[in-house]
Amino acid sequence: MNESRQRVVIVPCSGIGKTYGSVSREAAYEVTEDLRPDTAALVPLSLLVLGDEQARAAVAGSQAITIDGCKLACATKMVKESGGEVAKDYAVLDVYRRYKQFKPQGIAELNAGGQQLAQALAQEIAQDVDGLVGQDAAPYMAPLPHEGGQHG
Amino acid sequence: MPEFLETTVDKFTFKVATDRFYTREGVWATPLPEGEGAGVRVRVGLSDFLQQRSGDIAFAEVKPEGTALAAGDEVAAIETIKVNIALGSPVNGKVIEVNPDMELKPEVINQDPYEAGWLATIEATDWETDRAQLLDPQAYFVVMKAEAEEEAKKL
Repeated sequence: MNESRQRVVIVPCSGIGKTYGSVSREAAYEVTEDLRPDTAALVPLSLLVLGDEQARAAVAGSQAITIDGCKLACATKMVKESGGEVAKDYAVLDVYRRYKQFKPQGIAELNAGGQQLAQALAQEIAQDVDGLVGQDAAPYMAPLPHEGGQHG
Repeated sequence: MPEFLETTVDKFTFKVATDRFYTREGVWATPLPEGEGAGVRVRVGLSDFLQQRSGDIAFAEVKPEGTALAAGDEVAAIETIKVNIALGSPVNGKVIEVNPDMELKPEVINQDPYEAGWLATIEATDWETDRAQLLDPQAYFVVMKAEAEEEAKKL
């Protein structure tokens, strides 16, 4: 990895067993694996909660986009707690209000509406990523945890 | 500002405003100060317990102004992150006003269910008769608390 390249970290909700949490993670995977793999990277919220040093360093050294599954806004809070800058925070419920036609259902496996909502959200985030890396965001981006690893 | 009856079940605290009446399902009704016209204007909304149990509200669709309703007819449908609920009107009458916040920020129901989160105003055709069918705050409090405790057992 080129560590000097600007990257935006995406921190989705870690709510397991929650439909909106699943939407947040699907959107994050879509952005970091398919839409903007070179300029966006996923940092699992669970690692931040556990105090993983590499995860905290990644967040602290980058601009972050958070995706919260509920109003507790754990992702946004933990990024701030970890010293990161939240460039944009999304709440899945607000996104759904903009895409009423995509009603998310399901937990372990999202229904078609949930997948479409995640894709719509991912497209919005991808645009945000483009805007952020186009700016003079951070001159140095810390190594991201579990680079190239599995979903967290 | 209304006064409240309040109970805490598990980690959740529920309030029941004492200045209005309730259906068993948790829809409140309160007459507004006398205005012009023959009917009594009754404002309706969700109880604190109902909104908390239902979860964060994504959409609220209230019957439009002019809709005639019998008590129990659907006055609004809400979609939350958990469920879709049809809310029955607590009174007979006609919808004369819809809370404009329901269109763009229905989350106000979660934030302030007894004040800013009202759903609609209904011109009741016979408020006194309707009121006799509703629960007073103390009676609803008992019903609500029993439901909350039952829900807590499932957690």
